Amino acid sequence: MTVTTTAPQAALGVLPRSDGSAKYSHAGYTLTASVNGPIEAQRRDEHAYEAHVEVIVRPAAGVGGTRERHLESLLQSSLAQLILVKNFPRSLIQIVLQVEDSPENDYVNTKLVQASLNLAIMPALVQTAILALLSAGVPMRATATATAVAVVHQDGAKKTVVDPSPREVETARSVHVLAFTSHNGLLLAESEGDFTVGEWDDVYETAKGICCRAGPAKEGTAMVLDDEEASATDMRQFLRSTMESKVAADLHWK
Amino acid sequence: MTAPTIKLPAPLFARLSPHPFLLRNLTATAAAADPARPPAARTNGRGTNETRPLHAKASSLSHAHGSSLVRLGDTTVLCGVRAELLPVERIPLFRPVDRVGDGERGGGDGGDGGDGAGEGGRALLGRGELRDYDLLVPNIELATGSAPQFLPGVPPTALAQTLSTRVYSLLHSTGLVGVEDLRVWSKPGSGEGGDTEMEGAGEAQEVQEGVEEEDRVVAYWVLYIDLLFVSFDGNPFDAAWAAVVAALRNTSLPVARWDPEREMVVCSRTEKRQLNVRGLPVACTAAVFEEKELGEVGTGVVEGRHWLLLDPDRLEETLCREAITMVVDCSDGETRIKSIEKQGGTTIGRELIRGFAVIAEKRWKEVQGAMK
Repeated sequence: MTVTTTAPQAALGVLPRSDGSAKYSHAGYTLTASVNGPIEAQRRDEHAYEAHVEVIVRPAAGVGGTRERHLESLLQSSLAQLILVKNFPRSLIQIVLQVEDSPENDYVNTKLVQASLNLAIMPALVQTAILALLSAGVPMRATATATAVAVVHQDGAKKTVVDPSPREVETARSVHVLAFTSHNGLLLAESEGDFTVGEWDDVYETAKGICCRAGPAKEGTAMVLDDEEASATDMRQFLRSTMESKVAADLHWK
Repeated sequence: MTAPTIKLPAPLFARLSPHPFLLRNLTATAAAADPARPPAARTNGRGTNETRPLHAKASSLSHAHGSSLVRLGDTTVLCGVRAELLPVERIPLFRPVDRVGDGERGGGDGGDGGDGAGEGGRALLGRGELRDYDLLVPNIELATGSAPQFLPGVPPTALAQTLSTRVYSLLHSTGLVGVEDLRVWSKPGSGEGGDTEMEGAGEAQEVQEGVEEEDRVVAYWVLYIDLLFVSFDGNPFDAAWAAVVAALRNTSLPVARWDPEREMVVCSRTEKRQLNVRGLPVACTAAVFEEKELGEVGTGVVEGRHWLLLDPDRLEETLCREAITMVVDCSDGETRIKSIEKQGGTTIGRELIRGFAVIAEKRWKEVQGAMK
């Protein structure tokens, strides 16, 4: 595992005018999300039985291109499963994600606008969107956590890198993003590169260890994990502690 | 007292309430004893694990460098590959390529089974050129009238944009086209030598040439890969990807050489050489149809029944939220997964993905047969 496993940071309610907002930074990515909803939907987006979930991703520089559209469609389909859309027929829940900072790539010819899929940003997008939705108080079935894992071949040895840097993504044999709901269901699985079913299984285990760690109440299951994984970030716990500190701060006056 | 029964013709039923219509079709097994009723199947008559046969026809466009027409049931995609020369003077931030190092790279890469991702810095160089100079430009158009939801005179839909990103990413991550095929060298003859004979004697000769006189890349071929959906009936990605692979396998570029007197690249009118395409990645898509409309997510256990519908058509795609696409390549004998895209729900877990690899493998064999 690499040294890049810095702890994620988050702040809730950073934008005063929107219904809910969150700022999140992890693995070099910093994002701000705002959630507005349920609000009135445009006529063409209106659905008679459920709320329309709209996701807008804005890159750190330039305007969004085809890559952003793809990220939006992935997020939209995942978040629409989590939000109780049936509770708000004919309305709109809008999630805007602004990328503020993305990790530097030391590679010389880095272009500003790239068409290829950027899987490494996906976990940050999911996490920020979930935090902003929680901040806005949008009813949801479950929360979700996500992580990116790269399989790097180095000197004939296989290495699993959690939260890979842009350079590691480029040199990696395969890159995977997995998102899990708080009920341990596999919500999203995106992989690219060259791998076998066995390798994917290993990646699944690693990602599950990060996203679906059992709470502190169940010490028994936590003990099974080896030392390396235990030192990695526990996304679910992070989500929980962020919400708890926010609630504690809000109810301070009582 | 019995409730009055209303008889509706099947097309009307499908239009009024598509979800129960598909559900009834899939759960018809209970009445299998009744010979009058058909056995359980999808509304299009296929079984759940039954795909539409893929028909691929190569070189259907006479003015393109490579083209294909792929039919997947009622989904028809036309793909044309047009190559254009990009002189290096026109590339901002161009970095000269080392011929010697590249020769090694081409050989090593070929031995590795056509994978450009793994061999550290050297293999990466080629991948970097393709990406940095945008040598592969896929574009997807969903023609008006190919399906009722595509309206005329609107900007490219989210679907078209998503599809082209997926094709673009997959083109680069699979390393389907090697950059050595797209380079045009300044030394006449060395270009052809590098292409027809990548390893062995030709390589040694090139190295010598490189030492005595400066050999440099003067231009690149840029491949414009245009896809047009003539008709659209679900599963666009599988069809589009198959069309891209078929068109690239069909592509042959004119032999280009550097003319030092005129200081420009000239192409041969008659001579052509085939583009090398590494491997045969095949996409396989399935959608999850849930018994309960808008199924509950996230409980871990699946509530109600669900069906994995392979190669979904347009009606099925509108009724399914969760879908999985797996791209596999078995051309080396071993099944290598090139991409997994699963989104929109929690029904497909680890076991289903493992099982789906077997289905994708079967699909690969079918498509391989159709591509011959």
